[in-house]
Amino acid sequence: MIIIKDLHKSFGDKEILKGIDLHVKKSEVVVVIGPSGSGKSTMLRCVNYLEVPTSGSITLDGKTITREVNINTIRAEVGMVFQHFNLFPHMTVLQNIMLAPLKVRHMEETAAKQTALELLKRVGLESKADARPAELSGGQQQRVAIARALAMHPKIMLFDEPTSALDPEMVNEVLEVMKKLAESGMTMMVVTHEMGFARQVADRVLFMDEGRIIEQGSPEEVFTQPKEDRTKEFLSKIL
Amino acid sequence: MTFDFSLIANHLPLLLVGALVTIEITALSVAIGTMVGLFVGIAELSRYPWLRIPAKIYVDFIRGTPLLVQIFIIYFALPIVLGMRIEPFVAAVAACSINSGAYVAEIFRAGIQSIDKGQMEAGRSLGMSWGQTMIFIVIPQAFRRIIPQLGNEFIAMLKDSSLVSVIGFEELTRKGQLIIASTYGSLEIWSAVAIIYLVMTLSITRFVAYLEKRFH
Repeated sequence: MIIIKDLHKSFGDKEILKGIDLHVKKSEVVVVIGPSGSGKSTMLRCVNYLEVPTSGSITLDGKTITREVNINTIRAEVGMVFQHFNLFPHMTVLQNIMLAPLKVRHMEETAAKQTALELLKRVGLESKADARPAELSGGQQQRVAIARALAMHPKIMLFDEPTSALDPEMVNEVLEVMKKLAESGMTMMVVTHEMGFARQVADRVLFMDEGRIIEQGSPEEVFTQPKEDRTKEFLSKIL
Repeated sequence: MTFDFSLIANHLPLLLVGALVTIEITALSVAIGTMVGLFVGIAELSRYPWLRIPAKIYVDFIRGTPLLVQIFIIYFALPIVLGMRIEPFVAAVAACSINSGAYVAEIFRAGIQSIDKGQMEAGRSLGMSWGQTMIFIVIPQAFRRIIPQLGNEFIAMLKDSSLVSVIGFEELTRKGQLIIASTYGSLEIWSAVAIIYLVMTLSITRFVAYLEKRFH
């Protein structure tokens, strides 16, 4: 589903990604962990070209992203959830979810609305359809953001530290939605510090440090029998 | 010293006609200027140098030269190049619009830059183009934020439009000059002209404050 080959990314002289190779299968849930500055988010943002790779290639569902391929059509297939939600504050919750289906997929207004309401129900917020983002809690906003991404019927969902900006009591409601999504067979890449979620939901855990994938395996392997010293050191600090 | 109120009363209708013309030229210029400013402001943020550089030159040239000189260039110098006369009304609106466009461009540029980068990223990540994200997400938010500055620009333009009196265009200031030429009532008429300007600018300030409240 996602094939990353020899991905490099530099900002100025600073090389953030130093050659990433990764193959994510359909319906696989890959959780990426690692210290801050290790390049986790940058890698995720390269997958939908919010950051343009310096070199290397990314293939999504058989389509290699190049300058010739219309990046917008590929992005429409890849949902992204951000740390700070990035809901559109001047629109209602419903309008937030309906915008891209209307403008990108050219859906009928009534069909788009029906889809949006179904998705809101799925994330448990059907009563908030007409609210503005500012009237919602952080956890509710993030659930709306997930619904907004799902409205495009993406084949892949990317989560960039989706619970890092939330108050602790709101983390679970977002993780629950993500867990249900994983169970429904969605292909997911999740950058997170929630180790409980990684253990429970991940098919594979990647540990990244200094722009490279240091170690990967099942949650069991990485968390209980890490092979690399850097993984051990990182896990000893956070577990 | 005597202050002849009847002089004002007798010429008030004429002054009010001038005030209406002032409002007309200001509203027209700011409306055109806002459209020009929106495009130039976006062009200033473009990643394409062929859009960005001309936009920057336009803004720098207009903001770096007096409006009075710009009016002279359009009314007196441009006809030499074109080989045809330009009507005072056309020259006045053109000069004020071009001037206003540069100031509004800077307002839009700053307004767009003040919107969180995450908004553009969210729009793009949903598959919307740069243009769609600008139109549906970034500009509507920027517009709300810059209403006070656009109001200030409107007030500045209303006052600066008095400069087009020099090319004989009969707005409020020119009407005052003409009345004084036949009545010698400098004190009364200039006082009246000043108060009419003040009433107009204060009304706009109030209206903008109302708009700001409604949008927030």
